[in-house]
Amino acid sequence: MTLVLAIDTATEECAVGIGDWDGAAMTILGETNLDVPRAALTHVVPAIDRLLKDCGARIERVGAVVCGRGPGSFTGVRIGVATAKGIASGLAVPLYGVGTLDAIARRFVDHETLVGVVGDAMRKEVYPGLFRCSHGRVERLGDYEVTPPADVAARWADESAGETILLAGNGLAKYEEIFMAALGDRACVVPRDDWTPTGASLLLQAFAGASGSAGAGPEAGDGDPATLLPIYTRLSDAEEAERARGGAALPASGVTGPEGPRS
Amino acid sequence: MTVDIRHMRPSDLDAVVAIERATFPTPWTRGIFTGELLQGESRRWIVVTSPAGILGYAGSMQTADEAHIMNLAVRADCRSSGLGAALLADLMSDAAERGVSRLTLEVRPSNAQAIALYEAAGFHAAGERPGYYSDTGESALIMWTDELGSDGMRERMRELMERGRRALTERWSSTASSADAARPALILAIESSCDETAASVVLGGHEVLSSVVASQIDFHARFGGVVPEIASRKHTEAIVGVVDEAMREAGVGFGDLDAIGVTYGPGLVGALVVGVAYAKGLALATGLPLVGVNHLEGHLFANNLTDPTVKPPLVALIVSGGHTSLVHVPAWGVYHTLGSTLDDAAGEAFDKVAKLLGLGYPGGPAISRLAKQGDPAAIAFPRAMINSGDYDFSLSGLKTSVLTYVNRERKAGREIHAPDLAASFQAAVIDVQVSKAVRAAREYAVSTFCLAGGVAANAALRDALRVALAAQGVKLSVPPFELCTDNAAMIAAAANFRFVRGERLGLDAEAVPDLPLEWAFPPRAQGES
Repeated sequence: MTLVLAIDTATEECAVGIGDWDGAAMTILGETNLDVPRAALTHVVPAIDRLLKDCGARIERVGAVVCGRGPGSFTGVRIGVATAKGIASGLAVPLYGVGTLDAIARRFVDHETLVGVVGDAMRKEVYPGLFRCSHGRVERLGDYEVTPPADVAARWADESAGETILLAGNGLAKYEEIFMAALGDRACVVPRDDWTPTGASLLLQAFAGASGSAGAGPEAGDGDPATLLPIYTRLSDAEEAERARGGAALPASGVTGPEGPRS
Repeated sequence: MTVDIRHMRPSDLDAVVAIERATFPTPWTRGIFTGELLQGESRRWIVVTSPAGILGYAGSMQTADEAHIMNLAVRADCRSSGLGAALLADLMSDAAERGVSRLTLEVRPSNAQAIALYEAAGFHAAGERPGYYSDTGESALIMWTDELGSDGMRERMRELMERGRRALTERWSSTASSADAARPALILAIESSCDETAASVVLGGHEVLSSVVASQIDFHARFGGVVPEIASRKHTEAIVGVVDEAMREAGVGFGDLDAIGVTYGPGLVGALVVGVAYAKGLALATGLPLVGVNHLEGHLFANNLTDPTVKPPLVALIVSGGHTSLVHVPAWGVYHTLGSTLDDAAGEAFDKVAKLLGLGYPGGPAISRLAKQGDPAAIAFPRAMINSGDYDFSLSGLKTSVLTYVNRERKAGREIHAPDLAASFQAAVIDVQVSKAVRAAREYAVSTFCLAGGVAANAALRDALRVALAAQGVKLSVPPFELCTDNAAMIAAAANFRFVRGERLGLDAEAVPDLPLEWAFPPRAQGES
């Protein structure tokens, strides 16, 4: 029995969950999901503290930490990741990452369907994630990226081959029409309340071990709080400008080396 | 409390080994103690501290549900005072908390005083180890306790703890010196306000047990300045490793700390957020109090950190890549910013001029190196606001003058003498800073002036200030180089000051990118209890 704490602050929702992992199944003990745009730093630690008390659990009993790695707001993701690193380091317990988009898709795991998650990436772009929910599993079809919404919508219209797609994600606030136009009747936009990850969906997805290479779970990743990093998909503006000139690939760490991009 | 028990640290070993040698015929070596301190969770090594130094120590080793008392000694002049009981009570109650069911130890049959203590604590003879002591060939008496959970043992331990508590609080606190009433606090501080990820462990605001700085400078250099998003990413990447290294170098665990200090402003907001979020998570997990530090107050404390005689009232000049301010400090915690730059910070001006001359980033060291070979009077750059009558600075005009000069010379086909240009530019910056510094020192009648911040590394500025202030009878204090540039030891020193005053940062705290020095500590957090 391991008490697991999960947090995600990559969207405007501050999601916190506490669960009990018995080695085979995750029991959700409690969750708090607060709509606090651009205020995660203020809310996340008090929310964890309160939820622990509500669940009758003490922080020192937590045996593993899970955090959403994005993609999402750069600062938002870092607030969750840095907080989780502090907690896991302080407790000397493992820290596992989970994709924020994957945790959103997890909310629809009981349906047999495609799920398209559209995260708002600002600057007229989105973080798209296409998932297949089937038999209680969530499979991500493709890598994390940042791209114009019209391109994703067209691609999904193509790839879904006539299937219905559930659409979720805060990118829909701006781009719902683009997706509706491309997908027509096959698109089904879920209610706004379901566009963000929840404490429960983070816990379940992180420990499902079914979200592909970038997903986490006790068997995926080494649990080292020092090495876990956010998923950015974009470099800093300064480096992006350089990269545009040089045509180099995006480095996994999200930061190019001192010598700049190498093509 | 003047006498207390805490975890043993590597810095205690001189005293510990001295007591060990004076106590036992076949003493443990320093190497054995050092090795024990590296053993981690299975061991508990503690010392009795007092204003008169270390008075005793003890250690235990846990194996499964048993614990072995490995060593226990009290300084010869302090025996029969209950300190042995206090040490033993600490080890036994810790063992009970860790789920240990029984304790054991070996003792010389001839050591009646020790045996009496152990018997009082509930140990009883259970056998012997023949020829255990190599010096006399004596056998060791093996003693065991009953189950710690048994009624008899509970009663014994309660009595022992009471005896130990009395020894620490009554007998010793009345006889010991009252000069150092407060036990020095052990503080871990975290700094991430700009482009250095730093962590440090400092004891009592002065003893630096570790100071780790991970500089990102190479990642920003080709952009000619700090790229905020890169800084935030590198902090996220480095923070756990930097803190772990600081803890390891200091030889302490989170359980040994009294508080966590963190810079929460001023600085780059995205960079500050990483340190603040991490520190809050760490504070939640460890239950340690969190202390917020103003980065500029940290720079001021860098002076007091290595030289405790540097004390207010004083005037300080804080000059770095992000700050240029003159501050009057009548007392620690009371800050009056007399003036600051209206545009560029001094370090920023150096960077921009260096970029213009193609000298790379950071510009400060490059320009000061070049300036050594140049004539500071070669080019007459303006001394902006030198006679403004206030304490504000303006550096962007100077930067423009340099640019204009360079363009004019290039257009005229004349080669630019870079050393002369660097020396003349640097002299213009220094003249204004020195003039205002001297005037502030005189107006506020202080005898101490502190230079702080990364630009304090500039030797020409230091020398010019020292000479000008000495003429007024004012002493200049400059921290060692590694404490001038951003570091966490200075944050720990400032955190110590705030911690002792009982100031805490709430778990709902924000990063405050424009935190003024006057507002070194925020009002009580709202909403959270």
